[in-house]
Amino acid sequence: MKRLAAAAVLLSLAAVTACSSGSTTGDKSAGGGGGLFTTIDVNRPGIDPNAPANPYNPKGNSFLGYNAMKLAWIKNHMTDPNQFYPGIAESWEIAPDNSSITVKLQPDNKWSDGKPVTAEDVRLSIGIAYTQGSTAFAITPGAAGAAADVQVVDDKTVKVTQDMTNPSAKFARGVLDTYVAPAHVWGSVLPADFWDKLKASRGTGADAEKAREEITALGQKIIAFAPPKDVSAGPFVLQRANPGEALLVKNKNFYNAANVAPDQVKFLNYTGNEQIWNYLISGKLDHAGFTAAPPDVMNKIKQASGANIIKGYSPVAVGLAFNQSKKPYDNVHVRRGLAYLIDREQVVKVASPEGGTPAVTTSGIHQKPAQEWLGAELGALEPYKHDVAKAEEEFKAAGLQKKDGKWTLADGTPWKLTMHAPSGFSDWISAQENIKGQLTENGVDAEVVTVADYPLYLEEIAAGKYDAGFWLIALGPAPYDIYQRLYGASNGWTNVAGKIQHAAPGKGGNWMGGAEEIDVEGVGKVNPGELTGKLNAADAEAAKPIMLQLAKTANRDLPVIQLWDYVNTQFTNTGRFTGWPEQDSDLLRLPAGVWIQLGMVKKTS
Amino acid sequence: MSSAILETGGTAAAMRRNFWRGVWRVMRRKPSRLIGAVIVLGFAFMGVFGPMFHPELLPRDPDRIYAPMSAEHWFGTDGQGRDVLAQVVTGSRYVLLSALVTAVITVVLGTAIGLFSGFKRGRWDTVLMRLTDMKLTIPGLPLLLVLSTVWSFGSAVEMGLVLGLLGWGGVARAVRAQTLSLRERGFIEAARGLGLPTTHIVGRELLPSMAPYIAMNMLIAVTGAVYAQVGLFFLGVLPYEADNWGVMLNLSVFGGGALTTTAALPYMLAPLLAILLFTLGIVLVVDAMDEIFNPRLREE
Repeated sequence: MKRLAAAAVLLSLAAVTACSSGSTTGDKSAGGGGGLFTTIDVNRPGIDPNAPANPYNPKGNSFLGYNAMKLAWIKNHMTDPNQFYPGIAESWEIAPDNSSITVKLQPDNKWSDGKPVTAEDVRLSIGIAYTQGSTAFAITPGAAGAAADVQVVDDKTVKVTQDMTNPSAKFARGVLDTYVAPAHVWGSVLPADFWDKLKASRGTGADAEKAREEITALGQKIIAFAPPKDVSAGPFVLQRANPGEALLVKNKNFYNAANVAPDQVKFLNYTGNEQIWNYLISGKLDHAGFTAAPPDVMNKIKQASGANIIKGYSPVAVGLAFNQSKKPYDNVHVRRGLAYLIDREQVVKVASPEGGTPAVTTSGIHQKPAQEWLGAELGALEPYKHDVAKAEEEFKAAGLQKKDGKWTLADGTPWKLTMHAPSGFSDWISAQENIKGQLTENGVDAEVVTVADYPLYLEEIAAGKYDAGFWLIALGPAPYDIYQRLYGASNGWTNVAGKIQHAAPGKGGNWMGGAEEIDVEGVGKVNPGELTGKLNAADAEAAKPIMLQLAKTANRDLPVIQLWDYVNTQFTNTGRFTGWPEQDSDLLRLPAGVWIQLGMVKKTS
Repeated sequence: MSSAILETGGTAAAMRRNFWRGVWRVMRRKPSRLIGAVIVLGFAFMGVFGPMFHPELLPRDPDRIYAPMSAEHWFGTDGQGRDVLAQVVTGSRYVLLSALVTAVITVVLGTAIGLFSGFKRGRWDTVLMRLTDMKLTIPGLPLLLVLSTVWSFGSAVEMGLVLGLLGWGGVARAVRAQTLSLRERGFIEAARGLGLPTTHIVGRELLPSMAPYIAMNMLIAVTGAVYAQVGLFFLGVLPYEADNWGVMLNLSVFGGGALTTTAALPYMLAPLLAILLFTLGIVLVVDAMDEIFNPRLREE
């Protein structure tokens, strides 16, 4: 059974990439001084010794922030998607209208084999990004926030311009969130005529289609590419990997090597959460990303020598989403009734006491940024506090009938709420089991059904096979990203070449099947998909009133019942290293390798 | 004619009486066998009537998650605050019913194919035994893992059917071997010489001689089926059923940390003890059966 908590998935979905950074074990490394930093990669159980040091390979022995580098590291600021920490780039300049970004590389950075990191490396990496499907480097015609041109200004400067026919406020984010690979090692993965092909792919017609297919096909070749040895521009470079662990040693050529404390980093292998618990209880790890743990285990982890748990905001929440094409979920009163019936505090207490906080209401936004986006208006939203009487009122308003203590549909046929969850997402299953109990006790028949794995779950939910299932929402910080989970493709709205189009329920990936236009008290008639589309190009100030309208819409319309907002819980150990991020730091949303490369983590004296 | 029938009936009744007397003697000689029989009967009772003693939705208490063992909760509570023992009881029906279905299918199919093959010999034997060999070469667990991706095994009968269809190979081989050996014996030769029909020879002469062996195989198949399905649920490849023994094990270890801390230990131990006890019961009963049907083992 896959035992990663849903949180891990949500983290990767939110591009938070909660890579692990570990803790040091006591032994001094051969290099002296810095010592060994021990960690796990929470997003990837199992170390494959035969996997290449390839950041594009899902199993690759390339660890984000350690030996895999991006142009810059996204801060995931509450409201501003375009804040970063330096990575391969030392600085960047974003045009006021977001039309271009000029990236200056670290002047003294070298690859681990001694060659300098140049603008050519970045250009090649952007080429590779096109084959992998990236937001800024998308080959889909009309995609929002796509780059129009990549220009090498000089050896250390690259300028990328945005295609302004369908601009996005997070274009710079899309550009800087790009892996950088060494051109002198990876140069052969792209054919000599790649850039011509890319140009051809931007047109229309059969030739363009062929070019796009060829570029996409290159993606597989790149994923399989195995460099003879790891060449890294990060703080570490892979030395060896075996089934038990992967060992990385310090890259002496890294621009900030003098401030990188550990000499070595060891990624330990694990197959399930229980192994991570044991590592943490024995104080073996210097850092581990969020891992769901039952209360008793959590207490033991806290008691371990040097244990230091840091909590922060995780830009994601989970909600119970409905397929409104199915009865009775098309009726808003049924959804509201269920929202009143589910005691969210109890759900979180049972399912995710350490990993989440009960949602204050359904706004579509995580409660932390919601305060920034909505201000006092957040308090004015209907909180849907647990209230059985109100639930009954809503069910009656929906025309449901209560027979022998059980709610039935209006025509008297039995009603059973079937909730789906992927197998192995223990917090989701536990939450649904709790909801099932709560609902059944109040006359709503319910059941929990598990699905083999997460990809299958996503496939089936998109095919409209479920009545209701858990759905990750509020994937911040970009406002568009937050609401596209509620009023995006899954609810019928797609953004093609800057135009918002709506597909009928059951078509074009629309499985939520909500109404195209909603009459919201105090707001009037709104088309939530179009409003969401506007967020794509809006700056923070312009986005605020739209966010408020959408929050009110989500609150009254309830396409999902927001259950809990995730908490980013990071496990660290002060026994061997100090300088960990503060509670609530934005760095918690970045891999610990970034903390190390920025020079924050110090050896305990 | 009528007296002959009466006489035959009287002899049969006397034989039955003697048989049960023999059974009782065997049981008494080693009280452990009696205990085994009681355990197996107890589990059968639990599977049939147990769920009737509990509501469909077990009461839960979110304030008492992973509560320790107490007079109120003999094996504590689970991650939802539900009584663990009640889950073992309500979960027993699925496990035992599917195990029974598995055992019946294994034995019926295995015996039928083995008997037919061994008795007929020749071409039929070759074809059926090659089929059996092929079946035996298919590894069970990986096949089940693959099957579970397309089949949800929602009912106990479905589960039993699949496990049964996967498990008859060994029994078929063994029964064939026994048949081959028995068919050369004097009493079968005599029956053939008397011109008795094949159905009589197979049904009245061969099968009774092998009945003890088949019955023991059936019991052992029951335990095998319990392990197999609990294992599948434990691995999490089958859909979640709150009170299934395998799911309980899975949730206790991977959700409750039963192997890491003690809080969820009773939650893990309860289904484990149930499986252990049930296996013990079966083993003791098989031991008794062995002696009942094999007079040479009787320690008069």
